Amino acid sequence: MIRLFLMAFLFAAALPAQAQFNFNINKLLDSAKSLRSATREIDQREEIAIGDDLAARLLGAAPLASDARLQRYVNHVGRWLASQTGRAELPWRFGVLEAPQLNAFAVPGGTIFITRGLLERMKSEAELAGVLAHEIVHVLQKHHLKAIQKGAKTSLAGDALGYALKDARSEARDKLLSLGTELYSRGLDKSDEFEADRLGVAIAARAGYDSYGLPAVLQTLQAMNAQDSGVALMFKTHPAPGERLNALGERMQPTLDAYAGQPQLVERFAAEAKSR
Amino acid sequence: MKIAVFIFTTFISFSCAAEPAFLLRATELKKEPATDAETVAALAENAAVETVERKGGWTRVKAGTAEGWVRMLALRYGGPGAAKRGDSGASQLFNVARTGTSGTQVTTGVRGLDAEMIASARPNPAELARLTQFAATPDAAAGFAAQGELQRQQVREVK
Repeated sequence: MIRLFLMAFLFAAALPAQAQFNFNINKLLDSAKSLRSATREIDQREEIAIGDDLAARLLGAAPLASDARLQRYVNHVGRWLASQTGRAELPWRFGVLEAPQLNAFAVPGGTIFITRGLLERMKSEAELAGVLAHEIVHVLQKHHLKAIQKGAKTSLAGDALGYALKDARSEARDKLLSLGTELYSRGLDKSDEFEADRLGVAIAARAGYDSYGLPAVLQTLQAMNAQDSGVALMFKTHPAPGERLNALGERMQPTLDAYAGQPQLVERFAAEAKSR
Repeated sequence: MKIAVFIFTTFISFSCAAEPAFLLRATELKKEPATDAETVAALAENAAVETVERKGGWTRVKAGTAEGWVRMLALRYGGPGAAKRGDSGASQLFNVARTGTSGTQVTTGVRGLDAEMIASARPNPAELARLTQFAATPDAAAGFAAQGELQRQQVREVK
């Protein structure tokens, strides 16, 4: 098999003009690659499928808030933001989780959650947009997906990633999903969070919102005690809000100032998102 | 019990309206939210203020008898080295509302998203289907943005 492969490869190198033959060679090379699947890229279809499984688990921890109008409102804000990005074609979905804690989650493939606890601390649509844009960046930059893949390399043997991706009911799949859910209680790299803050501010500004939405939320969080049960998990999994505000001030001041005058939509937020 | 919860939530929203904060660096207190506005007073590093409202990148504050605007990012809430404040009661409050008994879980009450809940969660496919139902189309989102007079801008990314 290896000899045949080598011969075929040398043959193809000698005869580059034979397109049909090269096509076969590419197929051969692809199957050779899938043997080393622990290091291969997870494609978009697989990313979405993994995301569905992870989203279902998060929804097992906290269901959606029952208010349909609120859910549609958050989807409008989120989808408008996502339309301004390089992955606008993903099946974006946004959900408000019925949980008192203050938190938000990004799931690979385009699913974003925000808790009702965090929503109730917000004062404007621009603040909501700032947080959703931060989460959208995690999906754009595949922060969770890369962390899952990195974990799979060390904890899944041989071709287990291949099985995990192919077979949704395999044991390997279950392990892969555990790696994913762990991330939501352990957190991403700090650098991923700072990047999501910077790029998120730019996305909210591009969508026409007051660019200070995210900093305003960070300031609200900064005012809270880190030991507070409402923010314990969020503080454990993110850099301190004061540190994030400093980083935004250092890198994003010109962007923040250029778009500070855009709409905050305080009234629309109050009408659509306040508890009923 | 309901009255107690009501008083508690009222207190939370009131305390959000005027919050104690301090200045990260020496800052000019401005009459208007603009760099070239008249300076009302010079505030020292760590000066204590009370925040009133935010407008773009500026926050209106009271500093002693003076009132004016400072750069929002120059502010941090609490006090420099101030004692940690207590729990907001977010979780407890929720439990009271759900079960009537502080801190205990009765039937269908949701404790919410702590690390333990996430780790032990079983998939909920029915909620996933509901989530998908609420998704907005790009066109619907664009119409919604137009209603809010949100205008698309060219913004450079900072890597």
